[in-house]
Amino acid sequence: MARRTPDEHPDPFRIVGRPLPRFDVADKVQGTTLYAADWRLPGMLAGRILRAVYPSARIRRISVEHARGLPGVAAVLTADDVPQNALHEDPTGLGLSSFATPVLAADRVRYQGEPVALVAAESEVAAQAALEAIEVEYEPLPGVFDAGAALAPDAPRVHPDRVNLLIHWKLRQGDVEAGFRRSDAVVERTYRTQRVDHAALEPEAAVAWVDGDGVVTIRAATQVIEHFREIAEILRLPHNKVRVMAPFLGGGFGGKEDMTVEPYVALLAWKTRRPVRMLWTRQESLLARPKRHPFTMSYKTGATRDGRLVAQEISLLADAGPYPLLSPRVVFAALVVGCGPYRVPNVKIDARAVFTNNVPTSAMRGFGAMQVTFAYESQMDLLAEQLGMSALEIRSRNFLQKGDRLPTGEALETEAALPHITARAVDALGERSRPSAPSGRVGRGIACNMQPYGRTVWFRDRAQAWIGFEADGALVIRAGITDLGGGQAASLAQLAAEVLGVSPDRIAVHIGDSALTPLAGGTFATRQLYMSGNAVVKAAGELRAMMIPVAASLLEAAEPDVQFADNHAGVIGAPERTIALARVVAECARRGIPTSLLSGFQGEHAAPIDLETGQGRTFPDYTFGCHAVEVEVDAETGTVRVLKLAACHDVGRAINPQSVEGQIQGGAVMGAGQALMEEVAVEAGINLTTLFAGYLIPTAMDMPDVRALVVESGEGKGPFSARGIGEPPTGPPPAAVAAAIQDAVGVRLMELPMTPERVFDAVRARPARPKNEARGKV
Amino acid sequence: MYPSPFAYHAPVTMGETLALLARLPEAKILAGGQSLLPLMNLGLAQPGALVDVNGLPGLETVTEDGGGLRLGALVRHRTLETSPLIRRRCPALAEAASLIGNIRVRHRGTLGGSLAHADPAAELPLVAVALGATLEISRLAGAREVSAAEFFRGYLLTDLAPGELVTGVRIPAIAPGTGYGLAELVRRAGDFAIVAACAVITTDGAGVCRQASLAIGGVGPHPLVMRRAEGLLTGGPLTDRRLAEAADAVPGEVAPESDVHATAAYRRAMARVMAYRALAQARARAASGPGRPA
Amino acid sequence: METAAAEGAARAGVRFVLNGSPVDVWAAPHETLLAVLRDTLGATEVKYGCGEGVCGTCTVLLDGAPINACLLLAVQAAGRAVTTVKGLGAEGHLHPLQRAFVAHEAAQCGFCTPGMLLVAHAFLADHPRPTRDEIRSAIAGNLCRCTGYTRIVDAIEACAGTGKAARVEPR
Repeated sequence: MARRTPDEHPDPFRIVGRPLPRFDVADKVQGTTLYAADWRLPGMLAGRILRAVYPSARIRRISVEHARGLPGVAAVLTADDVPQNALHEDPTGLGLSSFATPVLAADRVRYQGEPVALVAAESEVAAQAALEAIEVEYEPLPGVFDAGAALAPDAPRVHPDRVNLLIHWKLRQGDVEAGFRRSDAVVERTYRTQRVDHAALEPEAAVAWVDGDGVVTIRAATQVIEHFREIAEILRLPHNKVRVMAPFLGGGFGGKEDMTVEPYVALLAWKTRRPVRMLWTRQESLLARPKRHPFTMSYKTGATRDGRLVAQEISLLADAGPYPLLSPRVVFAALVVGCGPYRVPNVKIDARAVFTNNVPTSAMRGFGAMQVTFAYESQMDLLAEQLGMSALEIRSRNFLQKGDRLPTGEALETEAALPHITARAVDALGERSRPSAPSGRVGRGIACNMQPYGRTVWFRDRAQAWIGFEADGALVIRAGITDLGGGQAASLAQLAAEVLGVSPDRIAVHIGDSALTPLAGGTFATRQLYMSGNAVVKAAGELRAMMIPVAASLLEAAEPDVQFADNHAGVIGAPERTIALARVVAECARRGIPTSLLSGFQGEHAAPIDLETGQGRTFPDYTFGCHAVEVEVDAETGTVRVLKLAACHDVGRAINPQSVEGQIQGGAVMGAGQALMEEVAVEAGINLTTLFAGYLIPTAMDMPDVRALVVESGEGKGPFSARGIGEPPTGPPPAAVAAAIQDAVGVRLMELPMTPERVFDAVRARPARPKNEARGKV
Repeated sequence: MYPSPFAYHAPVTMGETLALLARLPEAKILAGGQSLLPLMNLGLAQPGALVDVNGLPGLETVTEDGGGLRLGALVRHRTLETSPLIRRRCPALAEAASLIGNIRVRHRGTLGGSLAHADPAAELPLVAVALGATLEISRLAGAREVSAAEFFRGYLLTDLAPGELVTGVRIPAIAPGTGYGLAELVRRAGDFAIVAACAVITTDGAGVCRQASLAIGGVGPHPLVMRRAEGLLTGGPLTDRRLAEAADAVPGEVAPESDVHATAAYRRAMARVMAYRALAQARARAASGPGRPA
Repeated sequence: METAAAEGAARAGVRFVLNGSPVDVWAAPHETLLAVLRDTLGATEVKYGCGEGVCGTCTVLLDGAPINACLLLAVQAAGRAVTTVKGLGAEGHLHPLQRAFVAHEAAQCGFCTPGMLLVAHAFLADHPRPTRDEIRSAIAGNLCRCTGYTRIVDAIEACAGTGKAARVEPR
């Protein structure tokens, strides 16, 4: 028979779309999951990092002799001991430039907390004593601590051999000047977002050892096992002599996308030939692990009297810290979705990232698309206000639809369903709350967003999956994904269960081992369901196609009439004619037909964009959403309390609705935390937020129940038309909360976080004027 | 995360404890450990010796003391929060304790430890000052008492000399017609307050203020007593206007500093708002019936 | 060096009850209960998250009351009963709270989960019929970065009153 493709799979589904309990959660509630720091090996040493105390300084001398001589110290390493003290990066992925980031600072430190030396010792206390015994003589140097100032011609250079401008992406479509001339209303504002820490509850950790076969093995809390190649380069080993294993993560959010502990713990294990555990303290993590980029975003937006957007001119400036990491890609994502989910015929965007001597910045959930949401949605509200329209009205006149051209010139290939999404979010707020105190003012706001899922098409993304039956009819999936806590592994089981008719509890999913699981690319860019989900469905479909003829002959039925369900092969419409899948497997074995295979999914790929105009293919697809919030502002203190938060996203198809809702709820609260509370304060390169007590992530008392609303348009590019949902829910809350604050007390904040003090100051500075009731109302 | 090694002493009698403290003036006293252990975990405190006083008998008791209360220094925050006697006799203390940190901190943290640590934004020092509490202090040479208002001397600095130990706290009897108010501004539930205010007001039957006490935390090196505001209230009727005048006097009496969470100017402004709210709460409670204790 | 010497020299025997069974360990005074549980006893279900007493991932019950294992010296646990999440249910037999957490997907990454379960357990023992606000207040000191808390409150609420998970089937 003709092979069924996944798209032709019968609907309704048996397994997909059900809120199945996740197998990994059953382990987690019992405390049996062994996270990276929970691994123990005999003779294991404790590894620690000595970090720079200055943000910009020359290292005149490092003296390690005393430390090396201390009891219990197995190794003290400096830059001289690193076989290849450089991590070679192609910051754009386009081969435009290359960059060598030092593993350990040799003669120069460029941010406070930069690794300078490594220690391995018999105990954490001995390692700490050794750190304190290393003497480093620094000569402080002028640094650059402000992204804008970094661009000045006379600014100190972070890298002597290159200017501070790391990347400048351009997007040009139409004629913005002509567009503004045609506009009846123009709003021009500058928005600022802050440095944010991922604050995964699990700090960075790994255990590394040199295995019996000489393979350097690192069991690490990482989102990306493919880093084994970079570690091999650093150790000057063949790539196949380094293995990275990723157990279940205690949260990632992009903070474990770049390497964290891996190169350091690998170096120590390689040098000492003993197992080494490295666990970063929370304070170390806050001090030096890359953060979300602070953005300065200047927006000029023009619209006609009837609320149609005509032109948008945008300048984005991101503080990258001293090394590229993923900054060029983060600001590229910001560039592509800088106008949000709206049609804008004339667009000019300049997106830049610059080197500074501040703590590095890189990937975080939302990846540039998050920051611009605050700006473009605030612009929509301000335009609505100027034009005397409601927030809903102006948005609905400009929402992107399938087939519309994006500012990059490419067409939107899937339905965005924005009117429906927005209506559902707004409706979910229900009746307006009453203030809880005389000084309380209640207000509401909405914000919509679009977030790419999948990697930029020029990376030619690929994911592989191996799938096979055991003799007893149980199923095994091997996929080199990492599971950050979002149910990445469980969702693969659910997909395979759907296609092959194996019950999920009969499926084992092996993940996260660069030596033994087929590489799938890391878990980032909301790509894992899209890429590995498609790969598993494809593999399962191919396996099914090989086994159906065998089952058909055993059942003496025509192939199109055979189905796999409930661990059996059966004849459609004849419930009594079933045989166990194990029998089909045995028959395949007898006939020499394989019951396992490796398959792969090739993501969409295309040539790079035009670098002068930003025109071309960029991301495979986007996930769209709208959040509606209700807040109460204490007009006397500026304190903002979120009373209601409804978050609606089109996920194409919910593979596991309960997991999808969980992503939406958690992402929305993370976004609301960024809106109101969270900030890593850095002054002149010195991090002032190195205590967890001072980095304010929301507690259960700070946020309301989140109403997660799931729309299933059937329009995504993932398996069974699913869209990615990991990152999208983080984007809308800041703009929605800003709108709600304005609704409540009449002031629009343009800088995050919207602390009580900022709200208080804005309220106090507000010019007295009559309130325009129609303005920007939801 | 791993404290540096130290010599550990766990005396079981007061005499032994005071002798140790006299012999080891640099030793740190370990009570609940909820402020000391974090500092040690971070390497910010590396004491050579620790004197663990948790084994001392009798320091966890709460007793009636005349019309007031006598609390042992090792009474845990959780006990302050939940003890029926404390909730009846001194609900201000119970409410203040309920605002501290998180449930785990409250189960271990102690009254004496919180006072001796003297964080300028902590709840218990603030309430102790507002309630006119007296601290009992022991040393090898004998015992002494000091009022809470005099005990706090500066940022994390108290009247305690090396070798001395806070052993108990006495809360004076609360007159009929007294009410308390506690208002704090926090950036996140359970965190140290940006500004906190505690007011205790005693009225006569006719609604005239006989006595007012107002202390503010988070706006100086330690909880500050608002003498001018108290003076403006005492002897007059407790109208909204009088309360506002008293609150207006607060910004002139505080000395806040800026940090990453709030500027000095904002703290100053909030000191007024929190003062008013605490006073208004205290007035309402004082008026809700004579005999209603603070 | 002195520190390393002191580390070995001052170890003392400490006996306490861990999840119902007596344990004897050698612990130096500077070792926290967290370090001894994880490094000596292999009780890795107790997590390190901050060392400041802020995050709640190291929550254990000390004589039934939730405390920060990172802020208690191991020697201070002598003679006490320490309960970790492994003391909640039996092998292969989940406690109702654990079942409810699974059914409601109240855990994502699971790193906060052991502490969250212990705090919820201690809370429900004293508050059999809490409101959602009371539940939120009870778990406010235990941070979660994944779920946004809604599902955690759902799961605890489902266990309230009955002593078992009212809804063990997912929604």
